[in-house]
Amino acid sequence: MNIRDFSRVMDEMLQAFLLFWIPVSMVPLGLWYSLTSSPLRGRFLAFTGIVLICLSPWTVPSSPSSAAGHLLGAVIGPCMLIIIGIYLISFSGNVPVGKLPRSDRRIGFLMSAAGFVWLSGMHWWILTPQLVPNEVNVYWHVFWPTFLLLTSCLASCSAVTLLMIGEQRKTESKIMFLVSALSFTLLLLGLNIDGPFVTAVDFREHLWLAVADMLGIVIGSVLSILVFAFVIYTYERNLPEPESITPPTDSELQQVSALIANHLGGEDE
Amino acid sequence: MKESNLVLTWRMMLLAFFLPPLLILAIEVTFFGEFKGIDSGISFTRFANATLTAFTLCSLFLLGNLYFYGESRNRPLAPLVGMFMATGFGVLATVFFIGQGSMLLEDNGSVRAQAIYNIVHLFVSSGAISLSLCVALGVTFSAITSQKQRSSFELEEE
Repeated sequence: MNIRDFSRVMDEMLQAFLLFWIPVSMVPLGLWYSLTSSPLRGRFLAFTGIVLICLSPWTVPSSPSSAAGHLLGAVIGPCMLIIIGIYLISFSGNVPVGKLPRSDRRIGFLMSAAGFVWLSGMHWWILTPQLVPNEVNVYWHVFWPTFLLLTSCLASCSAVTLLMIGEQRKTESKIMFLVSALSFTLLLLGLNIDGPFVTAVDFREHLWLAVADMLGIVIGSVLSILVFAFVIYTYERNLPEPESITPPTDSELQQVSALIANHLGGEDE
Repeated sequence: MKESNLVLTWRMMLLAFFLPPLLILAIEVTFFGEFKGIDSGISFTRFANATLTAFTLCSLFLLGNLYFYGESRNRPLAPLVGMFMATGFGVLATVFFIGQGSMLLEDNGSVRAQAIYNIVHLFVSSGAISLSLCVALGVTFSAITSQKQRSSFELEEE
């Protein structure tokens, strides 16, 4: 590798570091900052990070990682529609606090449905995220099967939980079975019907890769939590016994008794 | 709840969770007579990469959480060193296994490219997992709140 090539590679790496990885790190940093010290500044930092990640396909087109920024920009619309829609449906119902008007329920339902239709349009219509024409964003193959499969699994689990643990929750359980069936139907359609850019064969292959991915994430995370628990347990076990203090004297006991007596009972009105 | 009922409930919940993929497998076997689209080699590579990356990033996250733990413990160094070693072990294991060649190397040319791809891949998967959790929990909550209000306590009849 000559010096010129090395310089070009360094430039690309530096660009990716400055315009992709620093914005990526701004998101958790902003969230952490918003929880600990300044909520407004933290949210601004996280928001700026998200915007810069979404812009990364234009700011650092040479970096393969910017495909994730492109996917984020493509799916953030439908995802926000779904999340805000569910929020509107939830809080326009019977909630003790933060109740929204009843009319928000219909708007929320429409927003959620629009979000799902938009995501489905990315598979079976022309909305598929493409970095270059006719080349599907590689991370779309990761996102879509993972989302569909896990939604189906979680909704099914929630439906059974409502039936087994909840009391008189049959209606709610039916709704959850319906959501699970809807996701499952989309999975089956994906496995059998080609989209304009994603074929059924591609989808099938990526569905099982998504299963492997999820299993790996669960096992890796559980292992890490176990190590964390082991580290804390070992540290706490090796701590010396706390020093015993002398028992209270008579005057201290009298003072405590007087304090307790002052705070017991109530005043007669 | 009796212990036997509790065990049954957990089993039913687990079965319900795994029902969709099992159903897809059953349909595949019934209609095609085989598991189409499963390449055990590629699936294992994906699984191993996901495990190593999740372990490393989760350890890093928990290392950050030790900051809050240290606040109530006079800032001890021992747990920090322990979690730092766990994270370091994750990084070294990732680099070592990817460096072994085609076992964990996907369509990327170098160890660094594969490691960065793994991290971005994990972010995307985590995003999809988070959205599914939001949808499942949100719809459950909205299904519950859409029903008639129930009183928590039976009113005493006077």
